[in-house]
Amino acid sequence: MKKLYSNKLVILSLVLPGVLLFLFAILAPICLSVYYGFTNYTGMGDFDFIGFDNYKTLMHDSAFFISLRNSLFLAIGFVCIQHPLALIVAAVLDKLGGRGESFFRCVYFIPNVISIAVIAYLWKFIYNPDFGLLNNIIKFFGGKGDINWFSYDKAIWAVLIVLIWHGFGWGMLIYYTGIKNIDPVLYEASSIDGANPIQTLLYVTLPLMKPVIQVNVTMAVISALKQMETVYLLTNGGPNNSTQFAANYLYQQAFKAYKYGYGNAIGVIFIIICLLATVILNKIFEERDVWDVKKKKRAKGAVS
Amino acid sequence: MKIKKLAAVLAATMVSSALAGCGNGGNEPVSSNNNSESNSNSNSDDSTGDEPVTLKLFSNLPDRKTGQGLVEQMIIDDYMKENENVTIEVEALDEEAYKTKFKAYSMEGMPDVVSIWGQPAFLDEVIDAGVLEGLDKNDYVNYKFVEGSLDGYTYDGTLYGLPRNTDVQCIFYNQKMFDDNGWKVPTTYDELLDLAGEINSKDIIPMAMDGGDGWPMAVYLSDVLYKVAGSDYSTIVSNAIETGDFSDENIKKATELLKKAADAGLFQNGYDSQDYATAMNLFTNGQAAMFYMGSWESSMALNEDIPEEVRSNIRAFTMPVVEGGKGSATDIAAWNGGGYAISAKSKVKEEAIKFFNYMYQPDKLSKYGWENNVGMSAQDQSEYMTGEETELMKQIVEILNNSTNVSGTPINDCGPSAFKTSIESEIQGVSNGSSTVDSFLKSIGDACK
Repeated sequence: MKKLYSNKLVILSLVLPGVLLFLFAILAPICLSVYYGFTNYTGMGDFDFIGFDNYKTLMHDSAFFISLRNSLFLAIGFVCIQHPLALIVAAVLDKLGGRGESFFRCVYFIPNVISIAVIAYLWKFIYNPDFGLLNNIIKFFGGKGDINWFSYDKAIWAVLIVLIWHGFGWGMLIYYTGIKNIDPVLYEASSIDGANPIQTLLYVTLPLMKPVIQVNVTMAVISALKQMETVYLLTNGGPNNSTQFAANYLYQQAFKAYKYGYGNAIGVIFIIICLLATVILNKIFEERDVWDVKKKKRAKGAVS
Repeated sequence: MKIKKLAAVLAATMVSSALAGCGNGGNEPVSSNNNSESNSNSNSDDSTGDEPVTLKLFSNLPDRKTGQGLVEQMIIDDYMKENENVTIEVEALDEEAYKTKFKAYSMEGMPDVVSIWGQPAFLDEVIDAGVLEGLDKNDYVNYKFVEGSLDGYTYDGTLYGLPRNTDVQCIFYNQKMFDDNGWKVPTTYDELLDLAGEINSKDIIPMAMDGGDGWPMAVYLSDVLYKVAGSDYSTIVSNAIETGDFSDENIKKATELLKKAADAGLFQNGYDSQDYATAMNLFTNGQAAMFYMGSWESSMALNEDIPEEVRSNIRAFTMPVVEGGKGSATDIAAWNGGGYAISAKSKVKEEAIKFFNYMYQPDKLSKYGWENNVGMSAQDQSEYMTGEETELMKQIVEILNNSTNVSGTPINDCGPSAFKTSIESEIQGVSNGSSTVDSFLKSIGDACK
């Protein structure tokens, strides 16, 4: 077996599919995007090179900056609201046991099983100012019930709630799996030491869940940046770009406004931002890791 | 036979104003015009013999059971029955998805016969890319096209497609609701806004508006602008688009009137985020008294999914006059929008042209369209009038008959696609008050540059 793995041909044949996939499905389209980002291509016919004109225009494009701001809001919403909630629910579910545990696990995951198109239309009707569920509930409790949930100033919050609600199940499930992988002996030990549930969560579950949290948070930030389908179906970025997200704006410019070159320029900036976000997140977690190791070393030194 | 006047009226009006302001320009036809057989009747000459042929039709009419989609399908079925060797495969998507895929097809090869829009916002780039087959106008002289209706499809003297409809912008209303409440059809814009207040006081939505899509609001703006500027409409619009300067007083006034309507509560709460179907449902369920949409929705009067009480009481009027404006009550917003074209690179071009011409035989698109109440065709339909049409249909015919001038292409379709995308988004902002009239006019101007 060892001999087989040291055969360079075997190594090549194992690595090649992944490398090819990366080259043709990821790297090549990115290179093409960079190329078209310097042109005035409409998506049809001939085109000219226009240098950095697309990028200069982009720097003054308010809709693009609104879409970046919205992505930032969503990332904050994911990290500060969705994930803490998902982690707590996962921890509670773990302690629930029995039928209740599997029942609630299913209930929380249901939104992820339903198609995005259905979710979007469901919420469109819930938010509808004339006959929507929300306004009817307000009316039931004696309110006026004529709130326009998709008005210019409220729409982004309405959209964020849907996105946070929709992605909740995934986060919860990954945390739940992480918690299940923690050795029960540690919980037993902590309970013998007299730890209460909150102390167990803070001093046993959370530290051991760190790798899972790292992966989940990175994925959440990237998915906030990539957000497209739900917004496209829910508001299509409107009214007046107030719920615009970068991917949706890119699509509108490239395919509706026949500015394929400009759309690609947005794509390039978008890739850079995604890469930067990943690098920064990795750095943050890495520094914490290094810091932890140093702390442990210091503690060891003090003991010896 | 009032309808007999239709051709004459449209001939005079469309020549005078339609599309004149939208400036046509483009390249030479992509291939030499070799469709000398294109005027032949498909029944008489089957040049492809009995060899099996598969034609691909790419359509923007996904509903194949009612309205225009049904008409299109009926013609396809007829053609396949008469030409057993021909199979027509239809791919139908709704408008937005259609336009996106159309672009993808333009890169990898277009289906043989496609839906198009004879308006600069759609056609400019498409003609430049050379994906459509050039046609000879002279081949269609006997097809009874209303004069002026081919202008939007003509670039440098070459025809690149044919129109399917004459669209009239209407304000549909529920007559029974109006009568029961003693409301009168408004004759001036101020009366319309006063009426909005009265209707609102009864907890009914005055006018259902598909503001989420943007384009119906842009058509509303064009409609009001036409009442403000009258016959100067097309010159004002084309100048503004050419220079990117929308500071013209007429455009400014029309935008202010649109905002005034939104402020007066003419549209439903949250109109700027609601889609076509939601807006239409408000009207067809009896929750709204009026619905702002084009004459293609006149088939509502025959749609059995709509409650009888509403369906049989739908009537229409057009945008009332604006005090001090140059447009009269009979100057209406109407244009020739959607139609069909043939792919320049079709491998079965001969058969495609044959089928294309078959669709435009006066007893096909025009007759079937008329019988199914899908609005006015771009061809003379007078001989198909039976007298049994719905009241709504008769009313729209009368509106068109009595019109003294028609606007031509709505403002959002008069410029490049970037302008269209911009105005359809920005108009939501100016109407809901999140941007000012001046910043709206500046933004749409910038999109033209």
